Amino acid sequence: MVDIQLMGLLNATLQAATLLFIAALGELIAEKTGILNLGVEGMISIGAVTGFMTAINTENLFLSIIVGVLSASIFSSIHAFVTVILKQDQTVSGLILTILGLALSSLLGKKYVGKKLMVKIESIRDIAEPSNILEVLLNQNFIFYLAILLMITTSFVLKKTMFGRRLEAVGEDSTASDSMGLKINKTQFIGTCVGGAFAGLSGVYLTLSYVPYWTDNMTSGRGWICLALVIFGGWKPYRTALGALLFGFLEALVPRLQTYGFELSPYLVKIAPYLITIIVLVILTIYKEGKTGAPGNIGRPFFRENR
Amino acid sequence: MNNYILSKKTVVNDLATFYSFLIGLIIGICIGSVILLIQDQNPITVFSLMLKLSVGSINSLSGSLNKAIPLILAGLGISIMNSVKLWNIGAEGQIFLGAIAVNLIYININISNSNLFIFILLISGFIGGSVCILLPAVTKVVFGVNEIITTLLTNYIIIGLTVYLVNGPWKDPKSLNFPAAAYVGEEVYLPTIFGKLSSGFLICILFTIGAYYLKEKSVFGYEMRIAGGSSMTAIYAGINAKQKAFFAMLIGGGFAGLAGAIELLSQTHRVSIGISQGFGYTAIIVAAITGMRPIGIFLVGCLFGALTIGGAVIQTIGVSSYIADIIQATTLIGALVSQFFFTYQIKEVKDG
Amino acid sequence: MNQKLLEAKNIYKSFGKVQALNNVEFYLYKGKIHGLLGENGAGKSSLMNILSGIYQPEKGSIVIDGKKQKKLNPESAAKLGIGMVHQEFRLIENFSIKDNLTLSKSNIYINNFEEAFRKYSEIFSLAANHDSLISELSVGEKQKIEIMKLIFNNNKIMLLDEPTAVLTPQETNQLKISLETLSNEDEKTIVFITHKLKEIKEFTETIFVMKNGEMVAKDLKTKSVKDTDLVTLMMGELTKSVVKKNNKKGEVKLKVENISLRTDIGGFNNLNDINLSIKAGEVLGVAGVSGNGQVELANIISGINSNFQGKVTIKGEDVSEKGVKARKQLNLSYIPENRLGVGLAPGVSILDNSVVREYFSASYGPHLSTNKMVNYLNLLTKEFSIKTGEPKAEISTLSGGNMQKLLMGRELISNPEVIIAAQPTRGLDVSAVEALHELIIDQRNKGSAIMLLSEDLDELFKLSDRLIVLYEGKIIKEFNIDEANTKNVGLAMAGVIE
Repeated sequence: MVDIQLMGLLNATLQAATLLFIAALGELIAEKTGILNLGVEGMISIGAVTGFMTAINTENLFLSIIVGVLSASIFSSIHAFVTVILKQDQTVSGLILTILGLALSSLLGKKYVGKKLMVKIESIRDIAEPSNILEVLLNQNFIFYLAILLMITTSFVLKKTMFGRRLEAVGEDSTASDSMGLKINKTQFIGTCVGGAFAGLSGVYLTLSYVPYWTDNMTSGRGWICLALVIFGGWKPYRTALGALLFGFLEALVPRLQTYGFELSPYLVKIAPYLITIIVLVILTIYKEGKTGAPGNIGRPFFRENR
Repeated sequence: MNNYILSKKTVVNDLATFYSFLIGLIIGICIGSVILLIQDQNPITVFSLMLKLSVGSINSLSGSLNKAIPLILAGLGISIMNSVKLWNIGAEGQIFLGAIAVNLIYININISNSNLFIFILLISGFIGGSVCILLPAVTKVVFGVNEIITTLLTNYIIIGLTVYLVNGPWKDPKSLNFPAAAYVGEEVYLPTIFGKLSSGFLICILFTIGAYYLKEKSVFGYEMRIAGGSSMTAIYAGINAKQKAFFAMLIGGGFAGLAGAIELLSQTHRVSIGISQGFGYTAIIVAAITGMRPIGIFLVGCLFGALTIGGAVIQTIGVSSYIADIIQATTLIGALVSQFFFTYQIKEVKDG
Repeated sequence: MNQKLLEAKNIYKSFGKVQALNNVEFYLYKGKIHGLLGENGAGKSSLMNILSGIYQPEKGSIVIDGKKQKKLNPESAAKLGIGMVHQEFRLIENFSIKDNLTLSKSNIYINNFEEAFRKYSEIFSLAANHDSLISELSVGEKQKIEIMKLIFNNNKIMLLDEPTAVLTPQETNQLKISLETLSNEDEKTIVFITHKLKEIKEFTETIFVMKNGEMVAKDLKTKSVKDTDLVTLMMGELTKSVVKKNNKKGEVKLKVENISLRTDIGGFNNLNDINLSIKAGEVLGVAGVSGNGQVELANIISGINSNFQGKVTIKGEDVSEKGVKARKQLNLSYIPENRLGVGLAPGVSILDNSVVREYFSASYGPHLSTNKMVNYLNLLTKEFSIKTGEPKAEISTLSGGNMQKLLMGRELISNPEVIIAAQPTRGLDVSAVEALHELIIDQRNKGSAIMLLSEDLDELFKLSDRLIVLYEGKIIKEFNIDEANTKNVGLAMAGVIE
């Protein structure tokens, strides 16, 4: 009996972690090019609602995923345009896009609240109550495996390929990179849009698999946790995945606490992930003494004729 | 063939922020109109209704100005922290903790003189906001932890705390459909002036002047500016940059906490999740559009307050209230885009 | 007859109201070492930045290898084989040497990196391993990497902007040999940009001279041109003043005993048992290659850094445990090396920056008096001939020279008795340098004890009464000014004690 509960916990953990990790990985890529995108929350939301809308109307899962990913990416191109081309403040731009993204999604999703999905992203093999690790893994859907693939690919590309090293160089020191002939604007613009695309994929996963339905404020602050995850992971894909697992675990734990006999109010327990994030962040910053691994140029606009 | 290059202007027009805001507002209204048209609504009908029901009568005007109070106060707090180049994303949580602090004092202390009581409660709200930002302030100043993330996450903690309180220890059994704390007594309601306008608005005016003075005319404001410019220069000037940053944060948090206190004592009259509907985030936009200027924050805050009321009332004719949010957000994007044109110029390169 | 590899004609460039380049003509012969001579601010860097694609000229044409260039940006310039080594290095500190050498898209040693690295490490006498991070290297080593970058990117045209500014005389000689090898064996076309007459004559085959944004002489044969002619071209009829060293010295105003400092950043930044004293009316020059403890020493004496071992005494009072305030009260002034960042706060207005030293006297209690501040700024502007714009404008809208004048004015107006001046004339044009030198000597004559830290040996020889050399955080040698010359000081700067 305990086994099933534990496996159930693992199952939920993996799903929650997948949701967090994909968007966090996208943000990691954007930040590696030097652009801070505080609009992740809004972008996940856009991907979530557009994917859901497409699924309800067309019952075509593949199309829904594409629409969700593309919509979020196009939405993030606003941030890219304002910060990379127009060189305005990244914090302000990101925050507006969160507000805009959430408001737009609420607007678009109004008619779809309460609607039931006829299709949903299927697991490899649908197992109602997995009883061992293999069954848990089979119970995940392809997005989970896609996330693992993306993690390995991103890490490899950043560390071992010329393309990845150049991408990191742009975020580390844009003036030096520019003088080496690297294309700063192009790299940062694409990096931001890729980040948006990943956020969209997270959103699609949210409404077509994890939940799966649509209401207002579907994302409930997960976008912010993704931002913290990137810092927590030291801007390294594997460590970020670890962080995602930790927070996925906490999110999965909350509704299960009562069954384990904990008498804590569920409301208080819901605070736990955020509280733990802050504590971990503080500990990490102290421990690393400022050498957190942040890209050297993050948050600063690049302007060639700085005199 | 002519080529074009981007170059930074050396002298920036002082009114650039104001013009950018106006242009942004026009863009926001245009985009709002487009969205309305897509939804088969007539923009002119909608906007005139919004205008009429937000500033068309004393009643609606006072409603709009009441809505502006938290935006202005939180925005002022954000602008003060901006002097030391710090961001306060936690205004939302600080507003809630301000309200919670008021309720906490109210149910535990009794003061017969109601004016004094109200005064004490307002101060508690301010302190509540400061307490809320205390952890981010300490970790930033002592360890250098990114305050954007810490203030942000604190929001969710405090909102979670609020949900816990109104569903648990402070749950009002008389409120059946909506989890909330018990109402505070009428004796501590903030008095109104000119009909429905809350005296909280007077507090707003006072604090706007105060924030302006603090930032522009006081020695503390000067010290904040130097500290925000360079910590080394601050050391040389004999300014303790960390101390300035710390107090700037506590003051900023306090302003937002006060906003929560006023919301409770004048609008909702009890603690609930409805104390703030994203005011803390909208305040950031308000502060940013005005270039962190207190007077501008006051004016734009009033405008956004009217916009929010307008957005709420048009639900009666079937238009989503999110239209107001969208207009606010697109106004700022429009303002940012215009600011680009004021700060940079495209120069032509001629062939020799 | 050598063919012209590059020809630039009618080049115009302005920054705001400043006309940096005015109808400039410049050309290069293949495989030769050219010199571009001119004082600071003459326009040399601007011209080079245009050739390397970083700036765009408003008017003008550039012809390379016979083909007219439409628009140069760093990428197209690199493709054409133009590369530049700037005074401020463009290296990614946290990345390895190998990364810095290979990330550029014009890198030609993709497959045979190791071989090429070994070959050129030898030519440049570079000892480091290619996996070392840039941040771990010395300044001289970083410059070698910068030059190697050009070679790895197949830059046929190499523009070197003041390359010897950060080198010891011995390293300078090493550079000369390396450049000659590159020019003769690899057929590289080299432009050596400097304001130092001696080096232009030693390094180059032909000389171009710039003054005030104009090209005043082209293609002068180095072997036959006269020094006096070059000086006249560079500086017009202005002759540099000679400083009389018959100043009377008074009692000791500044004494520094057993100063030691341990930091975690590389060994070069620690200080080891520094002892010195300066008398009233005396100028103590501190020579040394940048990065050997100068910044740290200055920050300790001025009170910015209070985390050290040892004793600092000003006018007989021990201030080791006390901070900046105590120093100011004892009438010490500090002109830091980083004018924007330490001396002046970036992002802050000119008005705010002008009262950094004395802001409490511009206030009535907690109230800041803008009037008092404006009066103070006007006083500074008049006294020190500062060309300033709107007081509320941001500080970096001032030119480098005026920023430095504001900084020095702010520090000197109170007639300080002890002055710490670090690299005060770095990057300034000749008239600004003259004016600042006059200020320093003026203060010396009024009885101030002055510590002058500088990388410019000419400046040190001109102004100092005594000279000490800092090497790896230690005072390696002391000289009286009459026994000091380029050779013995240079050797000391390189760590060699005879």
